[in-house]
Amino acid sequence: MKVTADDLKKIRFFDNYTDKQLDTIAAISSIKEFKVKDILFEQYDELVDVYVLLEGSLSLGISLANDKRIHLGTIEEGQFFSWSAVFKPYISTAWVMTVTPAKVISIDAKKLNQEIEKDCDFGFKTMSKIAQTISQRLSDTRFQLMNQLTL
Amino acid sequence: MKSKNIYKPIKAKLTEVIDESPPIKTFVLIPEEEFAFKTGQFIELSVDGIGEAPFTPSSSPHVTDKLEVTVMKTGYVTEIMHKLNPGVFMGIRGPYGRGYPVETFFGKEVLILGGGCGLAPIRSLLYALEHIKDHLEKVILCYGSKTPTDCVYKPLFNRLNNTDKFEAYRTVDKPDEEWSESVGVVTSLLNKIKVNIANSVAVVCGPPIMMKFGTIRLLEMGYKEDLIYLSMEKNMSCGLGKCGHCMMGEYFVCKDGPVFTYNELKNTPDIWK
Repeated sequence: MKVTADDLKKIRFFDNYTDKQLDTIAAISSIKEFKVKDILFEQYDELVDVYVLLEGSLSLGISLANDKRIHLGTIEEGQFFSWSAVFKPYISTAWVMTVTPAKVISIDAKKLNQEIEKDCDFGFKTMSKIAQTISQRLSDTRFQLMNQLTL
Repeated sequence: MKSKNIYKPIKAKLTEVIDESPPIKTFVLIPEEEFAFKTGQFIELSVDGIGEAPFTPSSSPHVTDKLEVTVMKTGYVTEIMHKLNPGVFMGIRGPYGRGYPVETFFGKEVLILGGGCGLAPIRSLLYALEHIKDHLEKVILCYGSKTPTDCVYKPLFNRLNNTDKFEAYRTVDKPDEEWSESVGVVTSLLNKIKVNIANSVAVVCGPPIMMKFGTIRLLEMGYKEDLIYLSMEKNMSCGLGKCGHCMMGEYFVCKDGPVFTYNELKNTPDIWK
């Protein structure tokens, strides 16, 4: 399913982009739908898309050596995920599974990187937003770690 | 004229004990005389011959003939309290300290971050905010606990989500098979809420680590330091600023708090310990 710039304007992650930049993102994006318990990607998968959750709820976690899945957090509507698809070695650090039926915007990561290289302003905005996502994930992980250490 | 003895507790009959989670119980008390408090203020609750401990009531400040106190089993006195049955008398003295300045919340959105047993003072605040909801824009509660079993006041969340102007969200660190709400630390809930930060105040109450990370996230979101209210319930003993047990920097938590703005405390060493 195609994505339009108007679709992107409704999502917090795409605040501050110009209309032209939103058209650029829309042109390399599509909407994908998933059923309950669908795996979007596994930990250590090679990633080719980054995602923004449009509808539904997703669980993010890591797997242990015995294949036991540990749930680390919930991805909420409007959140960006699968950032590893933009950075070498493009390998996911976690798995993502649907908790409810979900609809996501899937953005071609290779083409996104090409646009980042081409347009400095677009690149800075996108990298700032990705950095913010990773920073929050790191802060949440520290919080979880401190919780465990003080048990 | 005889002045009131500020150290003398008033008698209160324990009428009900509610199990909230394995280490947490709520005690319903009927004081022998009217007992008024401001939300966020604390009391000293005592067991005859055993001792007393400070708690912030979890009931509505608009109810003066009944008091609810939520107690987590953490030490000698609280362990004895957990063994009490309805019918016995306990002692209450107070209220002490500075509560939430709810009258300054008029016309604003109120974002509340709570963790673990920190929901006890928050429940009292929620009752107070429900009382003035016509003067508020919105109230959002984000609450985190370790597991679904540790989540206290379970019926509260449904009720709030069915109350005009109120939204309540829960998350747990470790879900079980039946858990269908969010997973993760309480700050992750801030990704799902919509709040007008320019017209909003924030309240944080919970374990020190949660308060630290919660406050940092609120500051990152753009909350002003003097509009973040922290409930610093630690080490209170006499309740009157005499014993010095609760001293934190230049403040006595029991007398100057327990509710402070982050702006008041930001230069105080070790506020999150």
